[in-house]
Amino acid sequence: MSIRAPRKGENYELSVDLNSEYREKRKDAIKRVIASMTVGKDVSGLFPDVLKNMQTDDLEQKKLVYLYLMNYAKTQPELVILAVNTFVKDSDDPNPLVRALAIRTMGVLRAEKIIDYLCDPLQKCLRDENPYVRKTAALCVAKLYDLKPELVIDNGFVEQLHEMIADSNPMVVANTVAALTDIHIAASSQPSTSSDDPALFLISASILTKLLIALNECSEWGRVAILNALARYVAKDDKESEHICERVVPQFQHVNGSVVLAAVKVIMIHMRGVRREDLIKQLVRKMAPPLVTLLSSPPEVQWVALRNINLLLQKRSDILSNEMRVFFCKYNDPLYVKVEKLDIMVRLAGENNVDALLSELKEYASEVDVDFVRKSIKAIGQTAVKIDAAAERCVHVLLELIDTRVSYVVQEAVVVMKDIFRKYPSTYEGIIPTLCANLDELDEPEAKASLIWIIGEYANKIDNADELLGIFVDTFTEESYPVQLQTLTAVVKLFLKKPDSSQGIVQRILNTATKDCDSPDVRDRAYIYWRLLSTDPGAAKAVVLAQRPPISIPRTTVAPALLEELLGEVSSLASVYHKPEETFVGRGRVGADSLQRKTDASDDRFSTQKALQTVAAGQQAENLLDFDDAPAVEGQPSGLAATEVLSHTPAAANLLAGTSSNPLDDLVSIFGAPATPAPPSAGPHDIFGGLGMNSTFSSGNAVSLGSPAVQSPSVAIAPPQQNQQPQDDLLGLF
Amino acid sequence: MALDGIIILDNNGRPIIQSGFRSTTTAYPLLHIDAVNDALQKAERSADVDPVIYVASYNAANVSSACCHVRVGDLRFLCPVSGDVDPLLAFAFLQTFIDILREYLGTVSAATLRDNFDIVYQLFEETLDTGGHPLTTYSNALRDIVIPPSLLNKLLSVTGTNFNSTINSGFGAGAAIGPFSSPLPWRKTGVRYNNNEIYFDIVEQFKAIVNKNGTVLSSNVHGKIEANAKLSGTPDCSLNFTNPQVLEDCALHPCVRLLRWNRDKILSFVPPDGRFTLMDYTYSSNSLPSPSPAQQSLSSVTPSRTNVALPFTIKAIVELEDSGGSFDVTLTSRYSTHALENVVADMHLGQGAGGIRCSVSRGSGGGGFINAGGSRNMDTFGASSGASWSFDAQRAVLRWEIPIVPPSSSWSMHGSFSTTNRIPRPSHAIRVHFDISSHTYSALKVGQLKVMNAKENYKPFKGIRGRSSGEVEWRW
Repeated sequence: MSIRAPRKGENYELSVDLNSEYREKRKDAIKRVIASMTVGKDVSGLFPDVLKNMQTDDLEQKKLVYLYLMNYAKTQPELVILAVNTFVKDSDDPNPLVRALAIRTMGVLRAEKIIDYLCDPLQKCLRDENPYVRKTAALCVAKLYDLKPELVIDNGFVEQLHEMIADSNPMVVANTVAALTDIHIAASSQPSTSSDDPALFLISASILTKLLIALNECSEWGRVAILNALARYVAKDDKESEHICERVVPQFQHVNGSVVLAAVKVIMIHMRGVRREDLIKQLVRKMAPPLVTLLSSPPEVQWVALRNINLLLQKRSDILSNEMRVFFCKYNDPLYVKVEKLDIMVRLAGENNVDALLSELKEYASEVDVDFVRKSIKAIGQTAVKIDAAAERCVHVLLELIDTRVSYVVQEAVVVMKDIFRKYPSTYEGIIPTLCANLDELDEPEAKASLIWIIGEYANKIDNADELLGIFVDTFTEESYPVQLQTLTAVVKLFLKKPDSSQGIVQRILNTATKDCDSPDVRDRAYIYWRLLSTDPGAAKAVVLAQRPPISIPRTTVAPALLEELLGEVSSLASVYHKPEETFVGRGRVGADSLQRKTDASDDRFSTQKALQTVAAGQQAENLLDFDDAPAVEGQPSGLAATEVLSHTPAAANLLAGTSSNPLDDLVSIFGAPATPAPPSAGPHDIFGGLGMNSTFSSGNAVSLGSPAVQSPSVAIAPPQQNQQPQDDLLGLF
Repeated sequence: MALDGIIILDNNGRPIIQSGFRSTTTAYPLLHIDAVNDALQKAERSADVDPVIYVASYNAANVSSACCHVRVGDLRFLCPVSGDVDPLLAFAFLQTFIDILREYLGTVSAATLRDNFDIVYQLFEETLDTGGHPLTTYSNALRDIVIPPSLLNKLLSVTGTNFNSTINSGFGAGAAIGPFSSPLPWRKTGVRYNNNEIYFDIVEQFKAIVNKNGTVLSSNVHGKIEANAKLSGTPDCSLNFTNPQVLEDCALHPCVRLLRWNRDKILSFVPPDGRFTLMDYTYSSNSLPSPSPAQQSLSSVTPSRTNVALPFTIKAIVELEDSGGSFDVTLTSRYSTHALENVVADMHLGQGAGGIRCSVSRGSGGGGFINAGGSRNMDTFGASSGASWSFDAQRAVLRWEIPIVPPSSSWSMHGSFSTTNRIPRPSHAIRVHFDISSHTYSALKVGQLKVMNAKENYKPFKGIRGRSSGEVEWRW
């Protein structure tokens, strides 16, 4: 079978050395073979020669030979059979390291033929006197299950593992738990699994006791495995929940962050069953310091910690209420850390600390990094919208920033200002002149659109509104579509407020928009306005100048039901992405389906199954809206990618930014479904985007296009009744 | 369904060495390498790349996964994870693995990895299971199964790790003791020393953000106790502090008995052999003496953060004009007894900065202190009594270095710079790093250290010292 290498060249030399009579030379040759293997050279031809060196007392040499075997087992399984005898013999070696090595390697080889020889030695090693061998054998069972589940069941390995949970050595217990969990996951992912499948690892009360004992004695990795198993346990009553919490809390003091986070997860899950208020308070209080401590770790760890803190805060806003200062950004923090800190700081903002926050945000706005500066300014806007009492101070800071005349600072400040006007109508009209003075400096569509919206909204208070809007009417066809839409709406508002002086400008813009404009959206809107104005100016007034629902910052970035689920997944990838596991582990539609199935199957712990389904349905919307959440969006399944490209064309972007995922939602809402709950649940994580981009258009769109559901997802609609009103008007028209 | 393996990339993004990836397809690691390299290429600054990268599956049959990565010197360590795994587990494991490599190889670089690939392979095998579970990572246990490269043995034993038992006994005898027969996973059995010693280093780091008025906006002191134990047998140590109330948010090495600590604030432990970190803590200046420290830590609702006096003040006058600016920075030590060492102040001058003209000098104060840097040769940049400056044009960072700042001395740097942009955008902060030897902010004092040993009686030599460092971001 083996092909002999030619009688010269590197491989030939190696082959000679491998057969040398000197031990050292042979060992050196094996090392060189492995080195060649590392750099990708094919040394499979040396298989028989390497194999000869397998019988040795030198453990290091043996390991290297095993390494070679493992590497070629996948491509040349027939050769590996030659080594079986040595493996079986080694699994009986007096040296426990050799026994463990043999059993581990056999489990890894993944060759069908080897596996048949594996069961007997494995049986023996599971009962080995040495704990190192036992724990290695335990993990080997999980691997065997992966290849041939029936062998594991038939040989009673699972039962044996269950017995090993009571092992005297905590490391053996930890590895056994890890193995059982692997088998459980593999078994439960099979659709045919019945609930009494022996492979399922159901944690009973007696297992719980053993796990809690082993927890304090094993290594950090073992602790994580045990804690993950504890998270799956369903407590019988509140006494048991309390007991688990009390036993797990000391893990907060572990030096390893992943242990801390896994412990936080267990506590968050079992706290649901705790009824004693004082204990809950105590647990929450103890949770904060270890999380904060993680912030003195390297940035990667900080980021994971921050993402998890962000999630925990949405459920328990009291965890870190006095700790905002620890989240202050240092200027050399990586951007991903800064952005997350910013979000948390706004979340923690209250009347008592808003001054510190604002001076900090102002500081950030003068930093070098443009992205970060923009996000900081957006955070100022969010603070203003969140805390009524601080709005004036926020506006003051924004004005100072506008004074710097740094282009992107000014533009972002204008965008943010629009939201403040939206939240506090008729409060800060005094600053409009300052904003208008910067008209010439605006070159970004969003900033332009925002300023135009402000001018339109306060057209009656601005003396030269027609002049200002005239500038944009003149360049109408050159502007981007969002700006065109805003200009159109603003001019119509101006006309409705000052009909005498602006007859000419409204005629001009309706003409241009209907005749010279490429965008169907702009054209259609112009037609609707035209018809409204010509048939019933009263109705036009009711639609265009309708009372808008107030905006507020959503308290959570994810839906409450999803939040509950994610909190159960603290210390997992899901908690970092803030998405349920299925959306990135599963594939496309299948993922969504399985999410529903899971919800169906589970008892009504999250009673809000409906909301979860919406999440599943809105999952696509989320991906599209989530421009900022690069890691999750990048490389989403290709089906979505296609739609994503669409979003880059302005018209489609507008459509997507404004509307929910599902065109049906719009239809439904037009036909008067009361208060559609749909989009907010799928809301983008990025509140900034929501406040900035979306609300600009939705504030205009919502009323004029007559689909209140297009209210941007992250801007929560406070009283749904208000929504109804303009909608009725419109329906009346039709 | 967990940590799928480790890939180590060189600074060009090419793989140096990777673990087996036996339960995945061959394409899997390549996919992750590409994903990371792609992300790095797209990012403006490599430091801003998200540490967890989503990696799409390459065909419908495979689940997608994520790649956690960290940078270590010139290398980048990748840890692909599939399934819903805690990324922190990946990062914690990578950190542990890197620490192990350091212990085995001294320095971790492309060259040392290539020279010792056999060791690295063995470490992959021993530390990470193919099923994705971390295995043995305690160096005490690892050294039984993976013998460190012989050339470095000497070096390692100097740095405080003891391999003698493994090497002298060779493989056969080492096995007779029995690996993992020790009931304590972190300590091996049968350790013997002629001189029994145990050392503790109390290392504290001060981090602060200071605004332009010199007011501390946020600060904390994070400390740890690093220990180096060279004790025979199975010693049982107990360590208490005279002022344990300064310790808060303690994170302890698994060898510490939690119950004892929570009850009496006594660190009771059987140490691993060699170096280890005994505990991490945060210094709390809220040191009101309380009758029972254990209760106090329970009742303090919100730990008040540290209020450590700033070790120095900075006066920075920066004037910005079109296409440039000038700066005048004065640093004055506020300490009267301790000298600040290795002071490094970084100032980011913004994109396109250049044309630096700068001079550094020593001001008044702190006389009579022997200046270590004074006799140094002047380098290419201006230098005065040891202080020097340099400019990293690529990162646009002006660096000011002072080897020793004696107590209450003052130092200044002034100069000008130009920028290619009309409006200069320097960052409004100066980052200062410094060290202080033989000093701790918390003044944590060890009261008593008892070493008990059932079998043999020896009086170990005990040593304790403190050192601290700091990182202050001073805004102007």
